[in-house]
Amino acid sequence: MVFEFKLPDIGEGVAEGEILKWMAKEGDQIKEDQPLVEVMTDKVNVQIPAPRSGKVSKIMVKAGDIAKVGQTIMVIDDGSSGAAALTTPQVPQSSARPTPAQQEQPTQASPGALATPATRRLARELGVDISTVRGSGPQGRVTDDDLRRAVAAPRVVPSAPVQAHVPAALGAREEVIPLRGMRKIIAEKMVKSKQTAAQVTHVDEADMTELVLLREAFKGSAEKRGVRLTYLPFVIKALVPALKEFPYVNSSLDEQAGNIVLKKYYNIGVATDTEQGLVVPVVKDVDTKDVFELAGEIEKLAERARSGQLALDEVRGSTFTITNVGAIGGLFATPIINLPEVAILGLHKITKRPVVRDGRVEVRDITYLSLSFDHRVLDGAYAARFTSKVIETLQDTKKLLAEVI
Amino acid sequence: MLEADLTVIGGGPGGYTCAIRAGQLGLKTVIVEADRIGGECLNYGCIPSKSLITVAKLFDRVREAEKFGLKASGLTVDFAQMQKWKSEVVSKLVSGVEMLLKGNRVTIIMGTAEVVGANRVLVRKADGQEEISTKNLVIATGTETVQLPGLEFDGDTVIGSREGLDLTSAPKRLMIVGGGAIGLEFASMFQKLGSAVTIVEVMDQLMPGSDPEVVRVVQRKFEGRGVRIHLKSKVSKVSKGASGVNVEVETPDGTVAVEVDKVLVSVGRKPRTGRMNLQAIGVETDQRGFIATDDRMQTSARWVYAIGDVRGPPLLAHKASKEGLVAAECVAGLPSAADWKAIPDAVFCDPEVASAGLTEAKAVQAGYSVKRTRFQFAALGRALSSGEGEGFVKVVSKADDGLVLGVQIVGPDASNLISEAALAIEMGATVEDIALTIHPHPTLSEAIMEASESAAGKPIHQLRI
Repeated sequence: MVFEFKLPDIGEGVAEGEILKWMAKEGDQIKEDQPLVEVMTDKVNVQIPAPRSGKVSKIMVKAGDIAKVGQTIMVIDDGSSGAAALTTPQVPQSSARPTPAQQEQPTQASPGALATPATRRLARELGVDISTVRGSGPQGRVTDDDLRRAVAAPRVVPSAPVQAHVPAALGAREEVIPLRGMRKIIAEKMVKSKQTAAQVTHVDEADMTELVLLREAFKGSAEKRGVRLTYLPFVIKALVPALKEFPYVNSSLDEQAGNIVLKKYYNIGVATDTEQGLVVPVVKDVDTKDVFELAGEIEKLAERARSGQLALDEVRGSTFTITNVGAIGGLFATPIINLPEVAILGLHKITKRPVVRDGRVEVRDITYLSLSFDHRVLDGAYAARFTSKVIETLQDTKKLLAEVI
Repeated sequence: MLEADLTVIGGGPGGYTCAIRAGQLGLKTVIVEADRIGGECLNYGCIPSKSLITVAKLFDRVREAEKFGLKASGLTVDFAQMQKWKSEVVSKLVSGVEMLLKGNRVTIIMGTAEVVGANRVLVRKADGQEEISTKNLVIATGTETVQLPGLEFDGDTVIGSREGLDLTSAPKRLMIVGGGAIGLEFASMFQKLGSAVTIVEVMDQLMPGSDPEVVRVVQRKFEGRGVRIHLKSKVSKVSKGASGVNVEVETPDGTVAVEVDKVLVSVGRKPRTGRMNLQAIGVETDQRGFIATDDRMQTSARWVYAIGDVRGPPLLAHKASKEGLVAAECVAGLPSAADWKAIPDAVFCDPEVASAGLTEAKAVQAGYSVKRTRFQFAALGRALSSGEGEGFVKVVSKADDGLVLGVQIVGPDASNLISEAALAIEMGATVEDIALTIHPHPTLSEAIMEASESAAGKPIHQLRI
């Protein structure tokens, strides 16, 4: 009988590993517990012993390839007869339209997980690999609830009393609002970001005194062009040289392919607060536009966002995102990365503060910048240097002028 | 230059479905069609053939209805009227699709598309040409008929399926080369309309790959109606004689000479990618020339997607349509993928044949411990009261937990019955689930329930063996 050797759960939080080395080849006889395969995970290399004795009929994942926990990596024939245990059905071959060579189908999904089509789709929407989820239904079928539990899995179980028995009288003091639509999408996106990216936030301060003057100087010409000039376009322009000098900040991580994709274009997402919730319209190709054009575009996009008129194209394709809460207040924050990007910059309130300049205390316009970045792609030093470069440009109006127009 | 988020080349069931969904998702979508919207399926395949098959079946049943007490005399087939009706059906459906495309703000361009570079498509139209700058491309160009050397179509005596659907009379003697789905449908149809039919198939059974028990029922009925079948055989020589076409067929028992009036060749189809410049844009294909994609329909060139026949077998309209939806959703950034477990198929010969999921042989090959149960239509009230008691439903399930792996049906209305099986497989249903579902009486669908009851060990209308 054939036995599917699946990559076992190696340990805390490990979802996949690279097969480093097979210690047996197809056709070899193996003994239970002999070292069989070496797997590299993000933390450690482990050697996994043969789960049973038999003959290696097929190696499903070759050395150098990545295997997910639960994925069949080898098929072993243990020589016994009886009910076979293969759980991944081969794809049915249809007979309806014979072709010259009616062989196997090219790329046909053959999901091992037992689940309805709608549940399989939900898994994709939640970004869960359904084959790794343990099903609670009959015959181990995966339900929608199983998926939701899988998404929320790393959470610590609260020790506080469960709220199951709310006295009837209390009912009126609470309102139940179903998690739907935008709210649900935002919820899922945020959780996915927090769970996939290794997020770190770096905070620095910038002296905006010169920029405040510069903006004042530009205000007149902005009015003539009919646009309201905020600080945001200047910050976007200050980002461009920094993104160019630190290209990994303007990248995305393609996990499936195992690639980092550096973007040679600069599309900035602008987190916008609307009645329905957070929307992130995208200002495209900011390196080719001046501050007035940017100001005009941002204004238009924000309006369209608030009236719910954004086209699909206007919310896609960003390479880096800014979230600006300066108008509301606060010191700094830890923004959540807008996947599949690798960094997000938080802008905050500009306030007059006493600072020391050349040994003297001066009153300057100071703000904090919060850069959350994905530590899988960027290291701390790299992210800090990037932030310094942005600040350097913001503080040096001569440099900034070269950029803004 | 026309700017588009998505350009779909090919207006068949894959392409038009893709374009409609893309339009619904707010993508600026263009569809380019070289011939007629609806493609092979609507214009030259599924729809016209089913129209003609309906007429042939009705003609046949009325002639045979004397045993039911129905007497008709002077019954004839008016080929011209039949063809006219067929064309009306096709036109109605084509204009319906055009309306749906327009209603979803899809731009339709009639012309021949050529991919001229990255994100560039050039369309040659009757009145000049148009260039499209497109962010994404879906290739849905389908397949074209394979012609055998020495058996090239001459438009008269050696023909393909397209010509076969436009005939103005039934050939007295018809040879069909290729005993697959298309060949068998033509064989049934023309046999009923009065042709003497000979089938030549190179493999050792009709409908290669299908369940042999199912094929046996088909072959028995064909032969009972006088259809000559040569298996493991091929046409070695074709020459025109005074009173028809002389065909030499190499059979395992030696060469046989057959004189016929027409030879219809249906031996398979090949991908139509001539103008796609696949190599230049970096799109990979398999050895047979079908475009390789991932389960999101994306090719090795990230901006290019491929769906339907051009992506490889099974060559089925409904597979193309589903793939079209997946491609449109992926272009729009949605997490869509082809993750279906069963692609049902249906062959409209007499008796009809349909299948979903694994056949018994494939299930065993895949390593399952298999239970197979059957229910004969001869034991079913509705089948007998329709005068169609041939064939059976076969359910292939997992021996340990009863999970439905596949269902094959040969017999009346198999094409309509198979959807229940497809749903069962997608839902991960067990034979017990089907057995416990009330099926209305008296209907043909009870056969699926009965076969499932047997699999669950609780048959009512057949004795436990």
